Amino acid sequence: MSDTTSLCPRCAHGTIEHIFSSPVPGVWEVLGCGRCLYMWRTSEPARRTRREAYPEEFMMTPEDIDAAPEVPAVPPLVTAAR
Amino acid sequence: MAYDDLRGFLEALEKEGQLLRVPDEVMPEPDIAAAANAAPRLGDHAPALYFDNVKGFTDARIALNVHGSWANHALALGLPKETGTKEQVEEFIRRWDTFPVAPEWREDPPWAENTLEGEDADIFRVLPLIRLNDGDGGFYIDKAAVVSKDPADPEHSGKQNVGIYRIEVKGKRRLAIQPVPMHDIAQHLHTAEERGEDLPVAITLGNEPVISIVASTPMEYDQNEYELAGALRGAAAPVTKAPLTGLPVPWGSEVVIEGVIEGRKREIEGPFGEFTGHYSGGRTMPVIRIDRISYRTNPVFEHLYLGMPWTEVDYLIAANTCVPLYKQLTRDFPEVRAVNAMYTHGLVVIVSTKKRYGGFAKAVGMRVLTTPHGLGYAATVIVVDEDVDPFNLPQVMWALSTKMNPDGDLVQVPGLPVLELAPQARTPGITDKLVIDATTPVSPDDRGNYGTQVRDLPEAAEWLTRLQKLAAAR
Repeated sequence: MSDTTSLCPRCAHGTIEHIFSSPVPGVWEVLGCGRCLYMWRTSEPARRTRREAYPEEFMMTPEDIDAAPEVPAVPPLVTAAR
Repeated sequence: MAYDDLRGFLEALEKEGQLLRVPDEVMPEPDIAAAANAAPRLGDHAPALYFDNVKGFTDARIALNVHGSWANHALALGLPKETGTKEQVEEFIRRWDTFPVAPEWREDPPWAENTLEGEDADIFRVLPLIRLNDGDGGFYIDKAAVVSKDPADPEHSGKQNVGIYRIEVKGKRRLAIQPVPMHDIAQHLHTAEERGEDLPVAITLGNEPVISIVASTPMEYDQNEYELAGALRGAAAPVTKAPLTGLPVPWGSEVVIEGVIEGRKREIEGPFGEFTGHYSGGRTMPVIRIDRISYRTNPVFEHLYLGMPWTEVDYLIAANTCVPLYKQLTRDFPEVRAVNAMYTHGLVVIVSTKKRYGGFAKAVGMRVLTTPHGLGYAATVIVVDEDVDPFNLPQVMWALSTKMNPDGDLVQVPGLPVLELAPQARTPGITDKLVIDATTPVSPDDRGNYGTQVRDLPEAAEWLTRLQKLAAAR
Protein backbone atom coordinates (compact mmCIF):
# COMPACT_ATOMS: atom_id res chain seq x y z
CA MET A 1 0.00 0.00 0.00
CA SER A 2 1.38 3.39 -0.94
CA ASP A 3 2.10 6.02 1.67
CA THR A 4 -0.62 8.66 1.45
CA THR A 5 0.47 10.81 4.38
CA SER A 6 2.43 13.12 2.07
CA LEU A 7 -0.53 13.71 -0.27
CA CYS A 8 -3.14 16.41 0.01
CA PRO A 9 -6.17 14.63 1.51
CA ARG A 10 -8.48 16.61 -0.75
CA CYS A 11 -6.82 16.74 -4.19
CA ALA A 12 -3.95 14.20 -3.86
CA HIS A 13 -1.36 16.82 -4.81
CA GLY A 14 2.15 15.92 -3.70
CA THR A 15 3.45 19.37 -2.73
CA ILE A 16 2.50 20.10 0.85
CA GLU A 17 3.58 23.29 2.56
CA HIS A 18 4.38 23.47 6.25
CA ILE A 19 2.51 26.45 7.72
CA PHE A 20 2.81 26.36 11.52
CA SER A 21 3.97 24.12 14.38
CA SER A 22 2.20 23.66 17.70
CA PRO A 23 3.51 26.01 20.39
CA VAL A 24 3.99 22.87 22.54
CA PRO A 25 6.65 21.21 20.40
CA GLY A 26 5.79 18.04 18.52
CA VAL A 27 2.03 17.89 19.16
CA TRP A 28 0.74 18.89 15.70
CA GLU A 29 1.56 20.73 12.50
CA VAL A 30 -0.58 22.89 10.26
CA LEU A 31 -0.12 21.89 6.61
CA GLY A 32 -1.39 23.41 3.38
CA CYS A 33 -1.77 22.09 -0.15
CA GLY A 34 0.04 24.06 -2.84
CA ARG A 35 -2.64 23.33 -5.45
CA CYS A 36 -6.17 23.30 -3.96
CA LEU A 37 -5.08 25.38 -0.93
CA TYR A 38 -6.69 22.92 1.52
CA MET A 39 -5.30 23.53 5.00
CA TRP A 40 -5.47 21.20 7.96
CA ARG A 41 -3.93 20.25 11.29
CA THR A 42 -2.20 16.88 11.52
CA SER A 43 -3.99 16.04 14.80
CA GLU A 44 -7.44 16.12 13.13
CA PRO A 45 -9.40 12.90 12.55
CA ALA A 46 -8.41 10.74 9.57
CA ARG A 47 -11.53 11.86 7.68
CA ARG A 48 -9.93 15.29 7.40
CA THR A 49 -6.25 14.40 7.12
CA ARG A 50 -5.80 11.11 5.20
CA ARG A 51 -6.38 10.81 1.49
CA GLU A 52 -7.79 7.27 1.83
CA ALA A 53 -10.30 8.35 4.52
CA TYR A 54 -11.25 11.69 2.97
CA PRO A 55 -14.99 11.83 2.06
CA GLU A 56 -15.60 11.70 -1.67
CA GLU A 57 -18.11 14.56 -1.62
CA PHE A 58 -15.42 16.95 -0.41
CA MET A 59 -12.66 15.89 -2.83
CA MET A 60 -11.46 18.46 -5.35
CA THR A 61 -9.80 17.91 -8.74
CA PRO A 62 -7.70 20.26 -10.90
CA GLU A 63 -10.74 20.39 -13.22
CA ASP A 64 -12.92 21.56 -10.31
CA ILE A 65 -10.41 24.34 -9.58
CA ASP A 66 -10.27 25.42 -13.24
CA ALA A 67 -14.09 25.46 -13.45
CA ALA A 68 -14.66 27.31 -10.15
CA PRO A 69 -16.87 30.36 -10.66
CA GLU A 70 -15.48 33.81 -9.87
CA VAL A 71 -17.24 35.52 -6.95
CA PRO A 72 -17.62 38.43 -7.30
CA ALA A 73 -16.75 38.90 -10.96
CA VAL A 74 -13.82 41.26 -11.59
CA PRO A 75 -15.31 44.38 -13.23
CA PRO A 76 -13.85 46.00 -16.36
CA LEU A 77 -11.25 48.68 -15.68
CA VAL A 78 -12.67 52.16 -15.92
CA THR A 79 -10.15 54.66 -17.26
CA ALA A 80 -10.59 58.37 -16.67
CA ALA A 81 -11.98 60.36 -19.61
CA ARG A 82 -9.22 61.97 -21.62
CA MET B 1 -25.83 48.35 30.21
CA ALA B 2 -23.26 49.02 27.48
CA TYR B 3 -20.07 46.96 27.27
CA ASP B 4 -16.90 48.49 25.89
CA ASP B 5 -15.22 45.21 25.07
CA LEU B 6 -15.76 41.48 24.78
CA ARG B 7 -14.13 40.79 28.13
CA GLY B 8 -16.66 42.94 29.95
CA PHE B 9 -19.48 41.03 28.31
CA LEU B 10 -17.95 37.63 29.07
CA GLU B 11 -17.76 38.64 32.74
CA ALA B 12 -21.42 39.67 32.67
CA LEU B 13 -22.39 36.37 31.03
CA GLU B 14 -20.53 34.47 33.73
CA LYS B 15 -22.31 36.36 36.51
CA GLU B 16 -25.64 35.54 34.86
CA GLY B 17 -24.76 31.85 34.60
CA GLN B 18 -24.55 32.22 30.81
CA LEU B 19 -20.90 31.31 30.28
CA LEU B 20 -19.66 27.75 30.58
CA ARG B 21 -15.93 27.19 31.05
CA VAL B 22 -14.58 23.88 29.79
CA PRO B 23 -11.62 23.14 32.09
CA ASP B 24 -10.61 19.77 30.59
CA GLU B 25 -7.96 19.56 27.91
CA VAL B 26 -9.64 19.39 24.50
CA MET B 27 -8.41 18.75 20.98
CA PRO B 28 -8.50 21.84 18.75
CA GLU B 29 -10.45 19.67 16.29
CA PRO B 30 -13.00 18.28 16.37
CA ASP B 31 -13.78 19.02 20.04
CA ILE B 32 -14.23 22.80 20.05
CA ALA B 33 -16.48 22.98 16.98
CA ALA B 34 -18.44 19.94 18.13
CA ALA B 35 -19.09 21.56 21.51
CA ALA B 36 -20.21 24.79 19.84
CA ASN B 37 -22.38 22.71 17.48
CA ALA B 38 -24.03 21.09 20.50
CA ALA B 39 -24.36 24.18 22.72
CA PRO B 40 -27.50 25.73 21.17
CA ARG B 41 -29.25 22.38 21.62
CA LEU B 42 -29.32 23.23 25.33
CA GLY B 43 -32.25 25.54 24.55
CA ASP B 44 -33.20 29.20 24.83
CA HIS B 45 -30.79 29.67 27.75
CA ALA B 46 -27.78 27.99 26.11
CA PRO B 47 -24.52 29.48 27.44
CA ALA B 48 -21.42 30.83 25.73
CA LEU B 49 -18.45 28.44 25.86
CA TYR B 50 -14.91 29.25 26.97
CA PHE B 51 -11.87 27.06 26.31
CA ASP B 52 -8.37 27.71 27.63
CA ASN B 53 -6.89 24.23 27.75
CA VAL B 54 -6.38 23.26 24.12
CA LYS B 55 -3.90 20.54 23.18
CA GLY B 56 -0.71 21.82 21.58
CA PHE B 57 -1.35 25.47 22.50
CA THR B 58 0.31 27.14 25.48
CA ASP B 59 -1.80 30.25 25.60
CA ALA B 60 -5.17 29.78 23.85
CA ARG B 61 -8.37 31.47 24.96
CA ILE B 62 -11.34 30.71 22.72
CA ALA B 63 -14.91 31.92 23.27
CA LEU B 64 -17.80 30.58 21.18
CA ASN B 65 -21.58 30.74 21.16
CA VAL B 66 -21.41 34.20 22.72
CA HIS B 67 -24.67 35.20 20.95
CA GLY B 68 -25.94 31.62 20.71
CA SER B 69 -29.25 31.78 22.61
CA TRP B 70 -32.09 34.20 23.18
CA ALA B 71 -30.84 34.67 26.75
CA ASN B 72 -27.38 35.75 25.56
CA HIS B 73 -28.87 37.93 22.81
CA ALA B 74 -30.99 39.67 25.46
CA LEU B 75 -27.96 40.24 27.70
CA ALA B 76 -26.02 41.63 24.72
CA LEU B 77 -28.72 44.29 24.45
CA GLY B 78 -28.69 44.87 28.21
CA LEU B 79 -32.11 43.22 28.68
CA PRO B 80 -33.05 40.64 31.33
CA LYS B 81 -32.09 37.19 30.09
CA GLU B 82 -35.70 35.97 30.30
CA THR B 83 -36.88 38.54 27.70
CA GLY B 84 -38.94 36.80 25.01
CA THR B 85 -37.99 36.75 21.34
CA LYS B 86 -40.76 39.04 20.13
CA GLU B 87 -40.12 41.45 23.00
CA GLN B 88 -36.43 41.61 22.03
CA VAL B 89 -37.40 42.48 18.46
CA GLU B 90 -39.84 45.15 19.69
CA GLU B 91 -37.17 46.70 21.94
CA PHE B 92 -34.71 46.65 19.02
CA ILE B 93 -37.28 48.59 16.96
CA ARG B 94 -37.75 51.17 19.75
CA ARG B 95 -34.01 51.70 20.11
CA TRP B 96 -33.57 52.03 16.34
CA ASP B 97 -35.83 55.09 16.62
CA THR B 98 -32.93 56.90 18.31
CA PHE B 99 -30.57 56.13 15.36
CA PRO B 100 -28.16 57.77 14.53
CA VAL B 101 -26.06 58.16 17.70
CA ALA B 102 -22.59 59.45 16.77
CA PRO B 103 -19.65 57.30 17.94
CA GLU B 104 -17.23 58.47 20.61
CA TRP B 105 -13.61 58.81 19.46
CA ARG B 106 -11.20 57.45 22.06
CA GLU B 107 -7.43 57.24 22.30
CA ASP B 108 -5.16 54.43 23.52
CA PRO B 109 -7.07 51.32 22.51
CA PRO B 110 -6.06 48.25 24.52
CA TRP B 111 -5.12 46.43 21.29
CA ALA B 112 -2.30 48.92 20.71
CA GLU B 113 -0.31 46.98 23.35
CA ASN B 114 1.22 44.55 20.83
CA THR B 115 2.04 44.87 17.14
CA LEU B 116 3.36 42.60 14.38
CA GLU B 117 4.24 44.23 11.07
CA GLY B 118 5.28 43.22 7.58
CA GLU B 119 6.82 39.75 7.36
CA ASP B 120 6.23 39.27 11.10
CA ALA B 121 2.44 39.76 10.76
CA ASP B 122 1.75 36.02 11.03
CA ILE B 123 -1.86 35.37 12.02
CA PHE B 124 -0.99 31.96 13.48
CA ARG B 125 1.21 33.67 16.08
CA VAL B 126 -1.75 35.64 17.41
CA LEU B 127 -4.89 33.50 17.02
CA PRO B 128 -5.46 29.90 18.13
CA LEU B 129 -7.22 29.13 14.85
CA ILE B 130 -9.45 26.06 14.75
CA ARG B 131 -11.39 24.33 11.97
CA LEU B 132 -15.17 23.95 12.06
CA ASN B 133 -16.96 21.51 9.73
CA ASP B 134 -15.54 18.42 8.01
CA GLY B 135 -15.82 19.77 4.46
CA ASP B 136 -14.37 23.20 5.19
CA GLY B 137 -11.40 24.03 3.01
CA GLY B 138 -9.36 25.36 5.89
CA PHE B 139 -9.29 27.58 8.97
CA TYR B 140 -11.98 30.24 8.92
CA ILE B 141 -12.59 33.54 10.71
CA ASP B 142 -16.34 34.09 10.62
CA LYS B 143 -17.23 36.57 13.34
CA ALA B 144 -14.88 39.46 12.61
CA ALA B 145 -16.25 42.91 11.84
CA VAL B 146 -14.52 44.04 8.64
CA VAL B 147 -14.21 47.80 8.14
CA SER B 148 -13.81 49.45 4.72
CA LYS B 149 -14.60 52.76 2.98
CA ASP B 150 -16.15 53.68 -0.34
CA PRO B 151 -13.11 54.53 -2.49
CA ALA B 152 -15.25 56.99 -4.49
CA ASP B 153 -16.41 58.83 -1.37
CA PRO B 154 -13.98 58.03 1.46
CA GLU B 155 -14.97 60.98 3.66
CA HIS B 156 -18.66 59.93 3.79
CA SER B 157 -18.92 58.16 7.13
CA GLY B 158 -22.32 56.69 6.24
CA LYS B 159 -20.87 54.91 3.24
CA GLN B 160 -18.16 53.27 5.28
CA ASN B 161 -19.00 49.72 6.18
CA VAL B 162 -18.63 47.40 9.15
CA GLY B 163 -19.69 43.89 8.18
CA ILE B 164 -19.13 40.24 9.00
CA TYR B 165 -17.93 38.18 6.04
CA ARG B 166 -16.50 34.72 5.82
CA ILE B 167 -12.70 34.83 5.81
CA GLU B 168 -10.49 31.83 5.05
CA VAL B 169 -6.92 31.67 6.28
CA LYS B 170 -4.73 30.85 3.27
CA GLY B 171 -1.33 31.40 4.83
CA LYS B 172 0.51 33.31 7.52
CA ARG B 173 -0.23 36.66 5.90
CA ARG B 174 -2.84 35.66 3.33
CA LEU B 175 -6.62 35.44 3.72
CA ALA B 176 -9.60 35.05 1.40
CA ILE B 177 -12.84 36.98 1.79
CA GLN B 178 -16.35 36.46 0.45
CA PRO B 179 -17.90 39.79 -0.60
CA VAL B 180 -21.42 38.66 -1.56
CA PRO B 181 -22.44 41.03 -4.40
CA MET B 182 -25.52 42.22 -2.44
CA HIS B 183 -23.39 43.33 0.51
CA ASP B 184 -21.79 46.74 0.98
CA ILE B 185 -18.14 45.67 0.93
CA ALA B 186 -18.71 44.21 -2.54
CA GLN B 187 -19.65 47.70 -3.74
CA HIS B 188 -16.46 49.10 -2.22
CA LEU B 189 -14.38 46.40 -3.85
CA HIS B 190 -16.14 46.88 -7.20
CA THR B 191 -15.22 50.57 -7.20
CA ALA B 192 -11.62 49.85 -6.19
CA GLU B 193 -11.25 47.16 -8.84
CA GLU B 194 -12.73 49.36 -11.58
CA ARG B 195 -9.94 51.79 -10.76
CA GLY B 196 -7.31 49.07 -10.61
CA GLU B 197 -6.73 49.70 -6.88
CA ASP B 198 -6.46 47.57 -3.76
CA LEU B 199 -9.13 48.05 -1.06
CA PRO B 200 -7.74 48.75 2.44
CA VAL B 201 -9.52 46.78 5.18
CA ALA B 202 -9.37 46.43 8.95
CA ILE B 203 -10.52 43.08 10.32
CA THR B 204 -11.55 43.46 13.95
CA LEU B 205 -11.97 40.39 16.14
CA GLY B 206 -13.36 39.87 19.61
CA ASN B 207 -15.73 42.83 19.81
CA GLU B 208 -18.29 43.92 22.37
CA PRO B 209 -21.52 42.12 21.51
CA VAL B 210 -23.46 45.00 19.92
CA ILE B 211 -20.72 45.52 17.31
CA SER B 212 -21.27 41.92 16.13
CA ILE B 213 -25.03 42.58 15.97
CA VAL B 214 -24.74 45.79 13.90
CA ALA B 215 -22.04 44.29 11.68
CA SER B 216 -24.51 41.57 10.69
CA THR B 217 -27.53 43.89 10.37
CA PRO B 218 -28.64 44.46 6.76
CA MET B 219 -28.51 48.27 6.97
CA GLU B 220 -28.90 50.54 3.99
CA TYR B 221 -25.77 51.43 2.03
CA ASP B 222 -25.32 54.91 3.48
CA GLN B 223 -26.24 54.03 7.07
CA ASN B 224 -23.37 53.92 9.57
CA GLU B 225 -23.11 50.77 11.71
CA TYR B 226 -21.41 52.56 14.62
CA GLU B 227 -24.31 55.02 14.75
CA LEU B 228 -26.71 52.09 15.07
CA ALA B 229 -24.48 50.56 17.75
CA GLY B 230 -24.84 53.79 19.74
CA ALA B 231 -28.63 53.61 19.44
CA LEU B 232 -28.77 49.97 20.50
CA ARG B 233 -26.30 50.39 23.36
CA GLY B 234 -27.94 53.56 24.64
CA ALA B 235 -24.41 55.03 24.69
CA ALA B 236 -22.05 56.17 21.94
CA ALA B 237 -19.94 53.35 20.48
CA PRO B 238 -16.24 53.87 21.33
CA VAL B 239 -14.11 53.89 18.18
CA THR B 240 -10.58 54.81 17.24
CA LYS B 241 -8.40 55.08 14.13
CA ALA B 242 -6.56 51.98 13.00
CA PRO B 243 -2.84 52.82 12.91
CA LEU B 244 -1.97 51.70 9.37
CA THR B 245 -5.13 52.29 7.32
CA GLY B 246 -6.73 55.07 9.38
CA LEU B 247 -10.01 53.15 9.20
CA PRO B 248 -12.45 53.69 12.10
CA VAL B 249 -12.39 50.53 14.22
CA PRO B 250 -13.89 49.51 17.58
CA TRP B 251 -11.83 50.80 20.47
CA GLY B 252 -12.33 47.62 22.49
CA SER B 253 -11.43 44.88 19.96
CA GLU B 254 -9.17 42.02 21.00
CA VAL B 255 -7.33 41.94 17.65
CA VAL B 256 -7.18 44.35 14.70
CA ILE B 257 -5.74 43.01 11.44
CA GLU B 258 -4.97 45.57 8.72
CA GLY B 259 -4.17 45.02 5.10
CA VAL B 260 -5.72 45.22 1.66
CA ILE B 261 -8.00 43.19 -0.54
CA GLU B 262 -5.72 42.83 -3.54
CA GLY B 263 -7.52 44.36 -6.49
CA ARG B 264 -8.50 42.24 -9.50
CA LYS B 265 -7.17 39.01 -7.98
CA ARG B 266 -9.16 35.80 -7.41
CA GLU B 267 -8.02 32.46 -6.00
CA ILE B 268 -9.69 29.15 -5.12
CA GLU B 269 -11.58 29.35 -1.82
CA GLY B 270 -13.76 27.02 0.25
CA PRO B 271 -15.89 25.09 0.55
CA PHE B 272 -17.31 26.30 3.83
CA GLY B 273 -20.38 25.15 5.78
CA GLU B 274 -22.55 28.25 5.43
CA PHE B 275 -25.48 29.85 7.27
CA THR B 276 -27.83 28.19 4.79
CA GLY B 277 -26.98 24.84 6.40
CA HIS B 278 -25.17 23.80 3.21
CA TYR B 279 -21.58 23.95 2.05
CA SER B 280 -20.71 26.48 -0.59
CA GLY B 281 -17.66 26.59 -2.82
CA GLY B 282 -15.14 26.11 -4.16
CA ARG B 283 -15.12 29.34 -6.05
CA THR B 284 -12.40 31.79 -6.86
CA MET B 285 -12.61 34.73 -4.50
CA PRO B 286 -10.66 37.82 -3.49
CA VAL B 287 -7.44 37.64 -1.51
CA ILE B 288 -6.35 39.77 1.47
CA ARG B 289 -2.72 40.58 2.25
CA ILE B 290 -2.06 41.15 5.97
CA ASP B 291 0.29 44.07 6.66
CA ARG B 292 -0.15 44.66 10.37
CA ILE B 293 -1.69 42.90 13.38
CA SER B 294 -2.38 44.75 16.62
CA TYR B 295 -3.62 42.80 19.64
CA ARG B 296 -4.36 42.95 23.33
CA THR B 297 -2.07 41.06 25.64
CA ASN B 298 -3.55 37.57 26.13
CA PRO B 299 -6.18 38.03 23.39
CA VAL B 300 -9.45 36.14 23.50
CA PHE B 301 -10.27 34.57 20.14
CA GLU B 302 -14.02 34.80 19.60
CA HIS B 303 -15.25 32.29 17.07
CA LEU B 304 -18.63 31.17 15.72
CA TYR B 305 -19.81 27.71 14.75
CA LEU B 306 -22.47 27.46 12.07
CA GLY B 307 -24.16 24.38 10.72
CA MET B 308 -27.55 22.68 10.60
CA PRO B 309 -29.82 25.46 11.96
CA TRP B 310 -30.24 26.66 14.60
CA THR B 311 -26.71 27.45 15.62
CA GLU B 312 -25.15 30.66 16.93
CA VAL B 313 -25.34 32.45 13.59
CA ASP B 314 -29.14 32.05 13.54
CA TYR B 315 -29.46 33.91 16.86
CA LEU B 316 -26.98 36.57 15.71
CA ILE B 317 -28.94 37.36 12.51
CA ALA B 318 -32.49 36.94 13.79
CA ALA B 319 -33.74 40.17 15.39
CA ASN B 320 -31.37 42.33 13.35
CA THR B 321 -32.83 41.01 10.09
CA CYS B 322 -36.44 41.62 11.16
CA VAL B 323 -35.98 45.24 12.23
CA PRO B 324 -34.61 46.97 9.10
CA LEU B 325 -37.27 45.21 7.00
CA TYR B 326 -39.94 46.41 9.44
CA LYS B 327 -38.56 49.95 9.31
CA GLN B 328 -38.43 50.02 5.52
CA LEU B 329 -41.91 48.54 5.04
CA THR B 330 -43.65 50.78 7.56
CA ARG B 331 -42.17 53.90 5.92
CA ASP B 332 -44.74 53.59 3.14
CA PHE B 333 -47.13 51.03 4.59
CA PRO B 334 -47.92 51.96 8.21
CA GLU B 335 -50.47 49.14 8.19
CA VAL B 336 -47.60 46.64 8.63
CA ARG B 337 -47.74 45.30 12.20
CA ALA B 338 -44.72 43.01 12.52
CA VAL B 339 -42.01 41.29 10.47
CA ASN B 340 -40.43 37.93 11.25
CA ALA B 341 -37.33 37.43 9.09
CA MET B 342 -35.53 35.19 11.60
CA TYR B 343 -35.17 32.19 9.36
CA THR B 344 -31.90 31.87 7.43
CA HIS B 345 -31.31 35.65 7.40
CA GLY B 346 -34.73 36.28 5.86
CA LEU B 347 -34.77 33.76 3.02
CA VAL B 348 -38.29 33.37 4.39
CA VAL B 349 -40.08 36.50 5.59
CA ILE B 350 -43.43 36.57 7.42
CA VAL B 351 -45.28 39.90 7.53
CA SER B 352 -48.49 40.75 9.37
CA THR B 353 -50.48 43.69 8.04
CA LYS B 354 -53.83 45.39 7.99
CA LYS B 355 -55.34 45.68 4.52
CA ARG B 356 -56.34 48.96 2.91
CA TYR B 357 -58.31 47.17 0.20
CA GLY B 358 -58.31 43.96 -1.81
CA GLY B 359 -54.86 43.03 -3.15
CA PHE B 360 -53.02 45.16 -0.58
CA ALA B 361 -51.39 42.20 1.21
CA LYS B 362 -49.90 40.96 -2.07
CA ALA B 363 -48.52 44.45 -2.75
CA VAL B 364 -46.86 44.48 0.69
CA GLY B 365 -45.38 41.07 -0.10
CA MET B 366 -44.06 42.36 -3.43
CA ARG B 367 -42.49 45.30 -1.63
CA VAL B 368 -40.54 42.93 0.61
CA LEU B 369 -38.92 41.55 -2.55
CA THR B 370 -37.62 44.98 -3.57
CA THR B 371 -36.23 46.15 -0.22
CA PRO B 372 -32.41 46.27 -0.27
CA HIS B 373 -32.20 43.10 1.82
CA GLY B 374 -35.08 41.44 -0.03
CA LEU B 375 -33.13 41.69 -3.29
CA GLY B 376 -30.71 39.08 -2.06
CA TYR B 377 -32.99 37.12 0.28
CA ALA B 378 -36.81 36.84 0.70
CA ALA B 379 -37.21 33.80 -1.55
CA THR B 380 -40.61 33.22 0.09
CA VAL B 381 -42.80 35.89 1.68
CA ILE B 382 -45.84 34.91 3.74
CA VAL B 383 -48.31 37.71 4.45
CA VAL B 384 -50.79 37.23 7.32
CA ASP B 385 -53.55 39.31 8.88
CA GLU B 386 -52.82 41.94 11.51
CA ASP B 387 -54.20 39.72 14.30
CA VAL B 388 -51.80 36.88 13.45
CA ASP B 389 -48.45 37.07 15.27
CA PRO B 390 -45.72 36.26 12.72
CA PHE B 391 -43.47 35.09 15.57
CA ASN B 392 -46.11 32.52 16.59
CA LEU B 393 -45.60 29.80 13.99
CA PRO B 394 -48.71 27.79 14.99
CA GLN B 395 -50.76 30.92 14.24
CA VAL B 396 -48.96 31.35 10.91
CA MET B 397 -49.75 27.72 10.07
CA TRP B 398 -53.40 28.37 10.97
CA ALA B 399 -53.42 31.30 8.54
CA LEU B 400 -51.90 29.11 5.82
CA SER B 401 -54.42 26.37 6.65
CA THR B 402 -57.50 28.53 6.31
CA LYS B 403 -56.73 31.80 4.51
CA MET B 404 -54.72 30.61 1.54
CA ASN B 405 -56.19 29.35 -1.72
CA PRO B 406 -53.55 28.58 -4.37
CA ASP B 407 -56.09 29.95 -6.86
CA GLY B 408 -55.24 33.61 -6.45
CA ASP B 409 -53.04 33.63 -3.35
CA LEU B 410 -49.70 32.58 -4.84
CA VAL B 411 -47.70 35.19 -6.69
CA GLN B 412 -44.64 33.64 -8.33
CA VAL B 413 -42.15 36.17 -9.71
CA PRO B 414 -39.62 34.66 -12.11
CA GLY B 415 -35.93 35.35 -12.42
CA LEU B 416 -35.21 37.58 -9.42
CA PRO B 417 -31.82 38.01 -7.76
CA VAL B 418 -30.88 35.99 -4.70
CA LEU B 419 -27.57 35.63 -2.97
CA GLU B 420 -25.39 33.13 -4.72
CA LEU B 421 -25.28 30.92 -1.60
CA ALA B 422 -29.04 30.19 -1.73
CA PRO B 423 -29.11 26.48 -2.55
CA GLN B 424 -32.55 26.51 -4.18
CA ALA B 425 -31.60 28.86 -7.03
CA ARG B 426 -31.97 27.55 -10.57
CA THR B 427 -28.62 29.00 -11.44
CA PRO B 428 -26.59 30.51 -8.58
CA GLY B 429 -27.84 34.03 -7.97
CA ILE B 430 -31.17 33.79 -9.84
CA THR B 431 -34.40 32.30 -8.53
CA ASP B 432 -38.16 32.58 -8.76
CA LYS B 433 -39.67 34.11 -5.63
CA LEU B 434 -43.03 33.48 -4.05
CA VAL B 435 -45.47 35.70 -2.20
CA ILE B 436 -48.11 33.73 -0.30
CA ASP B 437 -51.13 35.80 0.62
CA ALA B 438 -52.49 34.14 3.76
CA THR B 439 -54.67 37.09 4.74
CA THR B 440 -58.46 37.21 4.75
CA PRO B 441 -59.57 38.72 1.41
CA VAL B 442 -61.19 42.16 1.71
CA SER B 443 -63.36 44.08 -0.75
CA PRO B 444 -63.26 44.16 -3.69
CA ASP B 445 -61.47 40.79 -3.44
CA ASP B 446 -64.52 38.71 -2.44
CA ARG B 447 -63.05 35.21 -2.67
CA GLY B 448 -63.73 32.58 0.00
CA ASN B 449 -66.44 31.81 2.52
CA TYR B 450 -65.05 33.40 5.63
CA GLY B 451 -68.16 34.42 7.52
CA THR B 452 -67.06 35.80 10.87
CA GLN B 453 -63.79 34.82 12.55
CA VAL B 454 -63.90 33.46 16.10
CA ARG B 455 -62.19 35.92 18.43
CA ASP B 456 -60.86 35.41 21.95
CA LEU B 457 -63.61 35.98 24.52
CA PRO B 458 -63.25 39.43 26.11
CA GLU B 459 -62.71 37.75 29.51
CA ALA B 460 -60.00 35.35 28.26
CA ALA B 461 -57.04 37.66 28.97
CA GLU B 462 -58.14 38.09 32.57
CA TRP B 463 -58.55 34.34 32.89
CA LEU B 464 -55.08 33.74 31.52
CA THR B 465 -53.60 35.84 34.33
CA ARG B 466 -55.81 34.07 36.88
CA LEU B 467 -54.80 30.60 35.65
CA GLN B 468 -51.11 31.55 35.62
CA LYS B 469 -51.39 32.63 39.28
CA LEU B 470 -53.21 29.44 40.21
CA ALA B 471 -50.63 27.32 38.40
CA ALA B 472 -47.74 29.18 40.05
CA ALA B 473 -49.27 28.67 43.51
CA ARG B 474 -49.53 24.88 43.16
